[in-house]
Amino acid sequence: MFGSKPVPIAEHEARGDTSRIYHEIRQTLRVSGVNMNFRTWAGFPRFFPAMWASMQPIAASQEFESGADHVRGRAAELAGVLPAVPTGINTGESQRYQIRQALALYHYINPKLLLFTILVRRGLTGEAPAGAPADTELGPRVPFGPPARMAAMEMVSEAPGDRRLKRLFRDMKKTMSLPSVNSDYRTLALWPDYLEAGWTSLKRVVRTDDYLRATERLARDAAIVAERFPTPVNLDARQLRARGEDAEAVLEVTHRFEHLLPPLIVNIALLARDWWPGDELGRSPFPIADRPAGQKG
Amino acid sequence: MVTWRDFQRQQRVTEVRDTFISYLDEGQGEPVVLLHGIPTWSYLWTPVLGTLTRAARVLAPDLAGFGFSDKRDCFDRSIARQAELVDAWMDRLGISSAVIVGHDIGGGVALRLATLFPSRVRKLCVMNTVCYDSWPIELMLQFGHPGADRLLSAAMAMRLLRQALKGGFARRPPAALLDGLLAPYSTEVGKLSLIRNASALNTNLTTEIVPRLRSIDVPTLILWGEDDVFQPVSYGERLSWDIPGAHFVRIGGARHFLMVDRPHAVARRLNAFISS
Repeated sequence: MFGSKPVPIAEHEARGDTSRIYHEIRQTLRVSGVNMNFRTWAGFPRFFPAMWASMQPIAASQEFESGADHVRGRAAELAGVLPAVPTGINTGESQRYQIRQALALYHYINPKLLLFTILVRRGLTGEAPAGAPADTELGPRVPFGPPARMAAMEMVSEAPGDRRLKRLFRDMKKTMSLPSVNSDYRTLALWPDYLEAGWTSLKRVVRTDDYLRATERLARDAAIVAERFPTPVNLDARQLRARGEDAEAVLEVTHRFEHLLPPLIVNIALLARDWWPGDELGRSPFPIADRPAGQKG
Repeated sequence: MVTWRDFQRQQRVTEVRDTFISYLDEGQGEPVVLLHGIPTWSYLWTPVLGTLTRAARVLAPDLAGFGFSDKRDCFDRSIARQAELVDAWMDRLGISSAVIVGHDIGGGVALRLATLFPSRVRKLCVMNTVCYDSWPIELMLQFGHPGADRLLSAAMAMRLLRQALKGGFARRPPAALLDGLLAPYSTEVGKLSLIRNASALNTNLTTEIVPRLRSIDVPTLILWGEDDVFQPVSYGERLSWDIPGAHFVRIGGARHFLMVDRPHAVARRLNAFISS
């Protein structure tokens, strides 16, 4: 599948520069954990620091936050016209609270990841943006740090001991052509009954033409939003090769994430419809006015 | 025995300050708050719950950073902070005072409530509790080292804890109970939370309240699994000497997890104490 298969670096395995960059990712993207695309990119040590150095100023801007808000809003609209994916399972009060928090976390971060990935891909291919010149003024930056009420990015192992989860993960990978199970589903697997019911409902929807059109539409809209930002510099394949990095492998995983994220965003929006009133689903669960964790309000 | 997944399904939740607390709230009557220790969660009380809920309203929270309460890496987990959170949590639930029962570091929280928030405590029961300089035990000191997160994967930590926990039981505990006790810590986030919980263990937080133990003026029961290798019974004897009128009961054939080793004896003693 890959030229040289990258070995993702888990948060607890990160050392040195990778550990520093993971911290900066959490702070800059206002998120409680490091998602799979970063963990995978971190497996390319001559690419990852350069990529982050180029992307951090863009990701830190309020403009980027606002762009992600726009993508999330579109995802809510697109998911709103697809069939509902009710789970109808009997969960406890604490479980419901935590499932909702988990969905809020990914509903918040995934649109940012999509924009981020599109920009990285453009940097890798040297594609110039149609709209934003390289010296685009990015404006004020977001307050750093995860919001006070954001859940921890907790997830089960990708190779769980639980037979039911194993079966579910296998089915997800096959149905959605995933090379590995995303953080989102591994988090929802903390409540296997919920994940199983949600996936059973989702599976019916993800096979429809309407769903395919919705995810393609979201990908196109996100690409248009990404035009607001300059292409990150120093990332094109020639420079990566000069640094001794496997540029083709980096580009391949980046393409793959760009392809996987729109369906993931729509899936989380579909699941979240069960938990938020329609008009709230399009809004950011963590608007930038929210104070970061640990700061007194 | 109820499975940990079914137990989790019964948990309620309340936001307290910047965190959230999951808790069991079952039965009717006199409120009884059960505080677990480390490295467990409220599921530890399962063997005695059936008996207790027949006569009382039993509330068993997962302390912050434990079980299915908040496990983010951004707050203090010391027993000082836990006592403040239990105080605030009782406020949120409209419980002005209760019978407070604590085991292990939950006993440390209970002792701090009894000495520093005395109006919250109608009666006090501590079981194989941390006190004076009885803690932290060596295993937890090592586990609480910040480097443990990088040294141990969640799977390795589970194997280590599973093995170590067995020393706390007088006889082999049911595998399902052991699995359940460790389940919330089996993820990387859970493991890190438990490491932070262990980092927060601090002898000073029990030694500083020693001068106040004599001020405890509520009925007090001290239960001790007498073969405990983590918290030796001599500490229980010392506590019973320092807390005026405290009733000290040794539970034979029991180690640290006396509610698992001798559930009927513990439940009977507790019920009698609650209703006395």
